[in-house]
Amino acid sequence: MASRTLSRPVLRKRAVTALLYAALVLFAVWVLFPFWFLVNSSFMTPAEAVAVPPHWIPEEPTLGNYSAILAGQVAPGGAQVGLRVLTALGESFAVGILTVVANLALGGTAAYSMSRFRFRGSRLSYFSVLFARLVPPIAIVAAFFVALRDLGLINSRYGLVVVYISFTLPITILVLKNYFDGLPRELDEAALVDGASRLQALWYVIRPIARPGFIAAACLVFLESWGEFFYALTLTNQLTIPPVLAGFRGFFQFNWTTLAAATVLAVVPPVLLALVFQRYVVRGLAQGVAK
Amino acid sequence: MSDRQFGLVLALPAIISLVLVVGIPGVQTLIYSFQRVPLSDDPATFVGTDNYGKVLGDESFVESLVVTLQYTAGYVLLATVLGLLFALLLDQPLRGRGIARALLIIPWATPVIIAGVMWKWLIDPQVGGLNAVLFEIGVIEDYKPFLADREWALVFTILAAAWHQASFSALLFLASLQTLPNEIVEAAKVDGATAWQRFRGVVFPWIRPMLLVVVVINVIYGVLQFDTVWVMTQGGPGDATTLLPILLYRQLFIFSDIGAGSALAVMLGVVAVLVSSIALILLGRDDPLAA
Repeated sequence: MASRTLSRPVLRKRAVTALLYAALVLFAVWVLFPFWFLVNSSFMTPAEAVAVPPHWIPEEPTLGNYSAILAGQVAPGGAQVGLRVLTALGESFAVGILTVVANLALGGTAAYSMSRFRFRGSRLSYFSVLFARLVPPIAIVAAFFVALRDLGLINSRYGLVVVYISFTLPITILVLKNYFDGLPRELDEAALVDGASRLQALWYVIRPIARPGFIAAACLVFLESWGEFFYALTLTNQLTIPPVLAGFRGFFQFNWTTLAAATVLAVVPPVLLALVFQRYVVRGLAQGVAK
Repeated sequence: MSDRQFGLVLALPAIISLVLVVGIPGVQTLIYSFQRVPLSDDPATFVGTDNYGKVLGDESFVESLVVTLQYTAGYVLLATVLGLLFALLLDQPLRGRGIARALLIIPWATPVIIAGVMWKWLIDPQVGGLNAVLFEIGVIEDYKPFLADREWALVFTILAAAWHQASFSALLFLASLQTLPNEIVEAAKVDGATAWQRFRGVVFPWIRPMLLVVVVINVIYGVLQFDTVWVMTQGGPGDATTLLPILLYRQLFIFSDIGAGSALAVMLGVVAVLVSSIALILLGRDDPLAA
């Protein structure tokens, strides 16, 4: 009845809207389908995971995979996966936090300097940061490998942090410089007039105001560090979680359901971080990458 | 202390760090590429351009170059086009847009290596769900071990990486779209421009600088892709997914040929830096996030 009385443009508009919502649903499926499968498997017994056709919701949900990992025990089905996951997650956190702290300290001061001061070599400094940003990690791994080997620092948490500074520090400096550039100079100047030293102006005036910039940089660096695989694979013996997850290949060593639970535990921290600080992260990403 | 000195002192720790963890490893890798580097502490010997000759003269290099170009083409196309479509969709005033934008962050926040783990088991014929879905809707007649097939292995290692990267592209496109003044689009509407005309005449020119940025980043990430391939196929079946970074890994860590590995690393590094430098020049004064 309605269709007859509606004019063509209105119909057209409704059809377009329906198409857009259909596209939105497809988009949600694209994002969530792999996760559904992953989370679903993590609550299954190894026997149920190989059912044909597969169960889209576990019929006998179990927490066995998670409890084995959290207790550091051999998982259901005799899998060894659980033994290493908890320590690797801990190392990933340690490496991530240390990398973030080093980045904020080194990058915060340098970005402020590049935003506010001209000195001999200041342009060269800025271009060296840009250049360092362009050097791909894989291109300099040989030097790191030989150096860490000769220093006895293969598989060292601190060795890995030093290496991670190579690709995270340029990001931090670019994101923070961008942020400082957006803060009016009058802020620093007012503090100086009030008798603060330049260092006090940075610490007591700029640092609190620039919090969103610091949050963005910290999140980006933590995400980069958390997901870094190549250096962790080549410079450590499965120290952090990425090489541990990637190390399980055949069904003889492990079962998929426990690996699924381990993968869930490894993907929750970065996703949660990105969602909680969504605004800061997206802004920092766009400005740090594109400017 | 003068302003100049203060600025230099603030910037110095970061600059020294970058010299230590990017500059010196870069130069060291360049030096290794002209040397034979023994496994022990014995001194390396200079061998001229032998390592480059060895890498370039190897049949596997040419094969790997072809695979890398195919991989990169597929990856760039998929990650960029999907990213653009997602961004255009999520720029529409639809209900649930806020949730959809939060969803958009998730694949990007998921480390590439974890995307690889998820997709590897999703397409596994024993525990994965994809085979069942394709079987139920009649696309395949039998459960297929996709990663054992040369072509499918390439397709799915591309797909897993592009699943992550399409979100990254979309976040950047969306950031650019949000700086597009609404009045311009409205004016075009008032003038009777169709949706396609508005896209061609207004939206596309606006995001073109960002498109350049996204394509260049995606090209570099494509050429340097390691994570998904390593976890899903390790370069196989045969050499079907042996990208140049996989070849580099083998030279350095399987054959322990630091010299040849470094030569390949230098070539990859130079290509990456050149591509992004050319892009920066092309971009000129255009700001992809012009506000």
